[in-house]
Order: sequence, then C-alpha cells, then structure tokens
Amino acid sequence: MSDDAETDGGTAIEVTPEDGNLVDRLVAAKDGERFVAVAAFVGVFAMPFVLIDVLGVFDTLIGLSLGGFVGLPTLILSFGIVAVGYNLLLGYTGLLSFGHAALFGSAAYAAGIFSNNVVASPLLAVVVGIAVATLLSWPIGFLSIRRSGVYFAVLTLTFGQMLYFYAFGPGSWLTNGDDGYTPFDVAGGPDLLGFLAMDASITTLFRDITGLTLTLTDGLDMTVGYMLAGLVGVLAIVVAHRIIKSPYGLILKAIGQNEQRVAFVGLNVFRYKLMAFILSGVFAGAGGALYALSKAGLTVHPDATLYWVVSGDFVIITAVGGVGSLAGPLIGAVVFEYIRLVVQGITVPGTEFQIGSLWRLLLGVVFVVVVTLFPDGIYGGLSSLGDRLVERFGAATDADTDDRRPVEEVEETGGDD
Amino acid sequence: MVDIAGILLTGLQQGAIFALLGLGLTIILGTMEFLNLAHGALYLVGAYMGLFIVREVSVQEGLLAGIAGDPTAVGLGSSFLVALILTPILMFVIGVAMERFVARPLYDRTEVEQLLLTFGLALIIEELAREFVGSQPFSSYAPDKLLGFTVGGQADVPLVGLYPRWRFVVIGLAFLLIGLSYLIIERTDFGLIVKAGTRDSEMVRMLGIDITRSYALVFGVGAALAGLAGLVGGTIIDVAPGIGTNNALVPAFLTVVIGGAGSVVGAIAGGIILGMVAAVFQFQAPQWSQIVLFGFVAVFLLVRPGGLFGSVEVGE
Repeated sequence: MSDDAETDGGTAIEVTPEDGNLVDRLVAAKDGERFVAVAAFVGVFAMPFVLIDVLGVFDTLIGLSLGGFVGLPTLILSFGIVAVGYNLLLGYTGLLSFGHAALFGSAAYAAGIFSNNVVASPLLAVVVGIAVATLLSWPIGFLSIRRSGVYFAVLTLTFGQMLYFYAFGPGSWLTNGDDGYTPFDVAGGPDLLGFLAMDASITTLFRDITGLTLTLTDGLDMTVGYMLAGLVGVLAIVVAHRIIKSPYGLILKAIGQNEQRVAFVGLNVFRYKLMAFILSGVFAGAGGALYALSKAGLTVHPDATLYWVVSGDFVIITAVGGVGSLAGPLIGAVVFEYIRLVVQGITVPGTEFQIGSLWRLLLGVVFVVVVTLFPDGIYGGLSSLGDRLVERFGAATDADTDDRRPVEEVEETGGDD
Repeated sequence: MVDIAGILLTGLQQGAIFALLGLGLTIILGTMEFLNLAHGALYLVGAYMGLFIVREVSVQEGLLAGIAGDPTAVGLGSSFLVALILTPILMFVIGVAMERFVARPLYDRTEVEQLLLTFGLALIIEELAREFVGSQPFSSYAPDKLLGFTVGGQADVPLVGLYPRWRFVVIGLAFLLIGLSYLIIERTDFGLIVKAGTRDSEMVRMLGIDITRSYALVFGVGAALAGLAGLVGGTIIDVAPGIGTNNALVPAFLTVVIGGAGSVVGAIAGGIILGMVAAVFQFQAPQWSQIVLFGFVAVFLLVRPGGLFGSVEVGE
C-alpha cells in the first residue's frame, strides 16, 4: 500500500506537488497513467534486449549461459498479463484462487480451436480467448464467491480440476487430450491482418519494404508476434492501472482489508468480488490466448495450461513479485519464467554441474524466502528501499512522509471486528 | 452383485487412506487453525520411508544413485512391521520440528500467507525427493507375509470373489489407526486439552496448561498420521515424487471439506464417502471419475459449507 492516492469520499486524488525537487516530482509522476503507459512500453520492448543480449554477454565472457532465448519474452508476457489480473483478485480483493489455470487454459484452447476451425487470425484469437475466459469466470466466480477463505480456494480448485480432467479424457474430441492440441495449424504459420507473418522479424520487414539490410542483435530483432503480445501487454497494464486507481479499485482494496466495513457502508460486497473475479478472468483470457499464439504450430497440453499446478504458478508469480502493486506481478513473471526456462539450462562454469531439474527446488526456496522476509514481494522490498532513498534525497519535509501512514497501520488501531 | 461388493471394498480401502490423511490435516486445522499445504509432502515422505525400509531398491537417478555407487541398491530390506513402527516415530519427530520452525512463526500471519508458505514448503520437499531419488516411480511394496500370515495374493471371498488379500489388511490397519487416534482425542486428557484449545486457547493457557506443547504434539500426531497414510498408500500405488500433491494433498483437503474442518468423525466419514464415490465412478466411467469427484465436492461445498460435522467454517 505504498500508493500516494488518498481517499475523499470515494474519489481518488492524485497528489501532485508542483514544488519540490526532481526526486519529488518523479515520485509524484510515478502513479500517473501516462507515466505507467510509457514505462510499460519501454519495459515490454526493452525486455528481450535485456534478457537475451545484456545477460547473454555472460555467455561470451565467462561461459555462463545466463542469456534468455528468443521465445522467452513472449512467455513472460503471457504469464505476466495473467498475474496482473490475478493480482486484482489476490492483492487487492484478498481472494486466493487456485483455479485460474481453468481460465488461462480455456482461453488458450479456445483461441487455438478458433484458429483452426474458423479463421487463423491472431487478433480475433485474442478476442475469442478473452471472451471465453470472461464467460467462464462468470459462473465459476458466481459460485465460488459464495464461500470465503480456504473454501473459496478449494471451490476454484475443484472447478479448475474438472475442466482439466475433461480436457484430458471425455473432451479429447475437442482438445486432443494427452497428445496436445496444435493451435494455428496453418501452412507458413499465422499472419497478422493477412499480410504480416507472425514470425517475421523487424529486419525482414525492413528489408522487404526498403530493400536495405538492417543488422540487429537477437533481442532487438523482435518478431511481429512479440510486438502484438507486447502491445496487448501494455494495454493490459494500462487498463489494470486505471482499474486500480479508480474509485472501483479502491473499493476492491477496501474489501481486501475489511470486508465487513465495506458491507456496513452499504456496498454490495458480493457484486464487487464477482467483478474482481471476472476482471481477472479477462486478463487470464488475454494471457491464455497469447500463450496459444506463442505455441502456434507446436502443442498446447492440459498439464501446461489447465492443471492446478499452473494455478499455483500464478500464485507464486504474484506473491514473489509483490501482491498489491502493479509492477509486482510483472517482476514475478520475469523471475519465475527466467528461473523456469533459463536457470535450468545453466551449467556451473568449470564443472559438469547442471542446474537442470533443480529449478523447481530453487523456485521453492526463492518463494519461501521472499514470502517470509518480504511479505510484499520483491517489488515491495524494492519500493520500501526506494522510499528510504526518496526520504533521503527528496526535498519534502518529514511531516509529509509521516502523513502517508500505511493503511494497515490505521487498520490495526481501528479496533477489532 | 459381485461387482458391487468389489467396488464397495475398493471404495472402503481408498476411503480409509483418505480418512487417515484427512484426520491428520483436520486435527492440525481444528486445533491451531493452521492450514498445512505441506500435508501431502508428509505423505510423500512416509511413502519413501516405507519404500526404503521395506525394500532394497535400485536407484537409477538422482543424488542417491551417485552416493550409493555401484551396485545402486538402497534400503534396509526389512519387514513391513518395522516400517509400521519406525515411520510414525520418525514422522512424529518431523512433525514436531515442523511445528517449531515452520508453523509457529506463522500463527499470527494471515491465512493466505500460511497457504503460500506451506505451499512453498511442499514444493521444496517434493523437489528434494526428486533430487535425491529421481523422478522414476518405484513399484508398490506390499509385503507377502505379515506376522506369519500370508497377506499377498488373492483371497476367495464370498460375494466378492477373488480379491487381493493385502487390501483387507489395509482396510483393517487404517481403521485400527483411525480408532486409536479417535480414542486419543476423545478419551485422554491430552485430547481434552487439544479440544479445549480449539475453542479458546487463551482460556486453556490461563488454566496453567502449556498449550504450545500440545500444539507441537498435535502437529506431531498429524504428521505421523500423514506418514502412515503414505506408508500404507505406498503399498498400493507406485511411489514417485508427484504422489504427495496428486494422491494425498488434494484428497485430504476434499475429505476435510466434506467432513467439516476440525471434526474427527467428519474426516472419517468424509474420507469414506469420497473413496466410495471415486471407486464407483472408476468402475463405471473411468474417464469421468475425477470430474464427478470434484463436481461432487463443489456441490457439497455450496450446499453444506460447514461440511457434515463441522461447526465453524475456517476463514469466516
């Protein structure tokens, strides 16, 4: 809860001190929508460069294969988008769902099935994925939200597992069961708007248009597919930011902190919780569809999309990155996918020792350490460090910083419920 | 007719293991209001313990294969009876240690944080198992003889026909253990303190009773029960790192949900109901059995949120 938004009868007010030095102004701007959009854009499109090229330097320098591979950023984005939405539920509304794999997986399958049976259009596939996940999150949310705490978690888990076992067994005619489903099974791969091949890179496009040859590093040489995923990602981040900063988002946050009091004020808690669930379903749908796109011509398997362990992965991503913040889940997605897909391939230099299957163990340890030491996740830890730096270098007086008491603190002194 | 009796027996046998699992989970949940997602990992540890006590197996992958060298046979190759005595003792110690170092710092944290941390712990234990003995499944280790009696092979039972002898032993053993735990909780002073602690732990403390010690004991008993479930389960299914979550954690939670959190009778009833439902559909429509099982639990949760015997909902 390090946001600077204060409440005034339900309206969010941005604190924008015109005075103060550069540090203060930066701090004030950091919650503005334009800032978030620009930061998201830069972050999303710089990510491949950082992961593949910058970290790849270690490969050549000391033979430590820290660099990512070309498909990694897309996977990070698809999981990151789901986590951003999931965080609306866990981080703000305080509902721990163990069934988001159902929404993610259904969207992935829906997008895939649509692409093979109707039209192999990536844009429409994303729309279909979102639509299916949203429609599915409605009944699942409607039923699950009737119970709270562990019972909510178990209910979402049961719905997710039902879908998983359906996709595995009786639904094989639709999902191809254990063999996996191949989305976008079209010759030459899918294309965007009928002429941009999804796997065409910037350099190819540049050459085709201008006739000149452009040389870029692997990370900068993005594919059309990644650009689409990136744009969806930026859009998702901006939408999530808008939701979080709106009065609606504040109510969700209030429900997470004290459900009873929100009900006392006369608000329909059930409806808000349901909307939070559905909203997170929209994000899960977008992420799932992008996942299906990244697997174009490959296979989508129930184990990697619908299984409850995938739901657990979303929980880990969100909690490790930091619940209750916009950047947290994205950081979590980067860390998670990096450990899952890159660290496991690392061989310790000078020895034969490979990390290999240790990655899950490493992930578990990272997860436990982060949850124990930084309940607000990596982002929470970083931002409290940042706050200290701002306090040190900002011109704002101490009184100002004291005013921004964490909401939880107020809560504790507010009496028992 | 023959089929029905067989199905019911299988259901009873599965249900007995579910009940053992659910019992361990529910006493920890009821007493300390602590949600242990690592319960399935304790089952896993129990199953491996049984494997290495009862058998001498050839470990092909993992660190243990490297340590054992050649030949890679690891294990005591002792009798099932030894495992039956050693496993609960070792698991009890592990449970007490877990209470001290994992659960105690978490009592004051939120439910979500408890779930997250024990989930992480479960992940770590499962992966450690995978590191040490590899992902290879070891075949189940049902003994042929126990206390001089032949327990292997098939028995010709009236109404049922040929049925594996060992499954009868499993049913008997599980219900013996369940009965014992029931007596400990319902008939001893220790059980009384534990039950009082569920209602009002502060009051118990004011009466001069060291409730933290009871907590450690409860956790130990819960872990021992999970370990025993693992030991018994490992005689029926293959032992592999994945069984902790798939074959133990999820059924244990479903059992507790059906029976009602904190209820001993509920865990027993819930386990048997769950086992029966699973068995019937495994015979009739194997593809649909898991779907029906989860659907059943979902409907149950929605219609009777407190479970069969639960008085309070956790987290309400």
